[in-house]
Amino acid sequence: MLELTDVTRSVRLADDRVLHILTGVTLRVDAGEHVAVVGRSGTGKSTLLNILGLLDSPTGGEYLLDGASTRRLSGRRRARLRGESFGFVFQQFNLLTGRTVLENVAAPLLYARGRQFWSRNRLAAEMLERVGLGDRLEDMPDRLSGGEQQRVAIARALVRRPRVILADEPTGALDVDTGTAVMTLLDDIARESGAALVTITHDLAVAARSGRHYRLADGVLVPVTLVSPDRPGSLAEWVGDVPTLGASTDGAPAPRAVPAGGAP
Amino acid sequence: MTGLVGALVEAWDELRVHKLRVLLSLIGVAAAVTAITGVTAAVGMLGQAMREQTERWSGRETTLTVSAYPVTGSGDAARASEAMADVVERYSVAYASRVGWGQMAVELPGGTQILSGQVVDPAYGVIHRIEPGQGRWFAPSDADRLAPTLVVNQAFLDALAVPDVSGHPTVVLQGRQGVLAEVVGAVPDQYPGEPPTYTVLTDQVERWGLSVDPWGAGASPPALELWVPPADVPALRDRVDQDLRAALPGWQVDVTEPVGEAGVLDSASRWVIIAVSGFALLLGGLGLLNIALVTVRQRIREIGIRRSFGATSGRVFFGVLLESVVATLVAGVVGVVLAVVALDALPVDRLLGTALQDEPPFPVSAALTGLACAAGVGALAGLLPALWAVRVKVIDAIRY
Repeated sequence: MLELTDVTRSVRLADDRVLHILTGVTLRVDAGEHVAVVGRSGTGKSTLLNILGLLDSPTGGEYLLDGASTRRLSGRRRARLRGESFGFVFQQFNLLTGRTVLENVAAPLLYARGRQFWSRNRLAAEMLERVGLGDRLEDMPDRLSGGEQQRVAIARALVRRPRVILADEPTGALDVDTGTAVMTLLDDIARESGAALVTITHDLAVAARSGRHYRLADGVLVPVTLVSPDRPGSLAEWVGDVPTLGASTDGAPAPRAVPAGGAP
Repeated sequence: MTGLVGALVEAWDELRVHKLRVLLSLIGVAAAVTAITGVTAAVGMLGQAMREQTERWSGRETTLTVSAYPVTGSGDAARASEAMADVVERYSVAYASRVGWGQMAVELPGGTQILSGQVVDPAYGVIHRIEPGQGRWFAPSDADRLAPTLVVNQAFLDALAVPDVSGHPTVVLQGRQGVLAEVVGAVPDQYPGEPPTYTVLTDQVERWGLSVDPWGAGASPPALELWVPPADVPALRDRVDQDLRAALPGWQVDVTEPVGEAGVLDSASRWVIIAVSGFALLLGGLGLLNIALVTVRQRIREIGIRRSFGATSGRVFFGVLLESVVATLVAGVVGVVLAVVALDALPVDRLLGTALQDEPPFPVSAALTGLACAAGVGALAGLLPALWAVRVKVIDAIRY
């Protein structure tokens, strides 16, 4: 369904230097798959997620969505595909202030058409019921706990029945127990709806819930296998990479992750 | 369809959420629309009041005044009256009145007095917008009543020693024989110290021979007033003139038409008022633009989030623009409502010194102009923030 081939992304800085964020990412995500990408802060995880979600475009390489190239998509078409195919879950929840929980979840349906648009409040209420917040419809988000706010964000990401859920550090702002509960909910709902789930995290316990795992280092995505969810090890064992300045990636610390298939 | 409805819902939600901001930024717009609508309506009322005041003296705007008098100095007044009646009948003039002045001997408690008064037909009241403060004006049937009827001034009532006309006061008029006349209506004195005066119907004066001629000047023919449709004024003027000249050889006939709207505010002053209000509206729009720019900067993150939902840049642009337009339109509606309420509460008769007979309709065109101006200002004020919102990069906006 999603297929990245040698995707690069670089940006020109104010002092005219070029920052290479992704230097050759190849990734394939099929329908219903759960994929985790781990990496240290600043390694380009969010950039990768933005490219997958059509919020950003690659500088080079190819991104195929359902077998079709996304390179020549118009802004309007990208926006429409984004709304129809992707649901985003952000680390900071990004709920709309001043709107009730119900209005927040119904907000994406304002950009839908037909029945989804006209039934937006009912669909939003059903989704909130599903995430266990059916009794908080008229509450303001700032009256909810962090875990509840993230559940609202999950309901909002899923209300248009996307085919892919892109979760950017979904437990980053939550304590361990709440994070576990939220991830369980996200996994379950994604599975129920048959949506693919791409989770970006630096939490190995969160990553371990996915079927496939990748580590982003040196702008390259490397498939890895977790040793054990119970002994995830420290993040330092996994990543040590930062985006490189200039064209060269020489001198970057070698990753010390366990390559896929090479786990002891 | 869903796009438009969605954008409207979104714009309305924004206004709802940012009520205070919207309220503050729109006070100027609402005030300006109130000014535009209210002042236009007030000018309309003032114009109407002045028009009615003028018409009380000289008759309605399209009233033709016909006068005829013998060139040789003597002539048959009855013949002139007949010729005038023929003209009225020939051209089916709905509102026509003979108008003359006369003197009658009236028996008052203090003794018989010779009083001056006006001699007219019932239509005179319509032509001159006369509404007696007490009682009523003459009805057409009054001309056929056996006893004469009178509409008098307050001084006449005082001389008659009656407080008002509710008791149907009567007074004896001396003519060929004394006749008891009923006072059916009274008008206020036109100036302090006005002597007792009256209005009586021409037919009654003729029937009872009520006119007295203390100086022996002889009866002069009455003038004739014809209130005709505006489109008929030129043609009727010429025809009436020709007909009367033919019917009254040796007579000087004058048919005068109204001189135009006297005392009505001219359009230039109206434009000045609208220009001043427009300037106020522009200032309101600048305030709105200022606040809109600030709040769009505060809303970058939200715009980014909405882009992640699938909002196109066009939708974001339209949404921000519409927000501003909807806000100013709401302010415009509030402004119009305020103008309506204010005008309704105004004691127009006290301010203008007279009650309006034909209150001008609320100036819908001014209200629509005010609303259109408000929407235009909203669109202008929303344009810059909308352009700015579209230029925001989605990924930067989400992280903002």
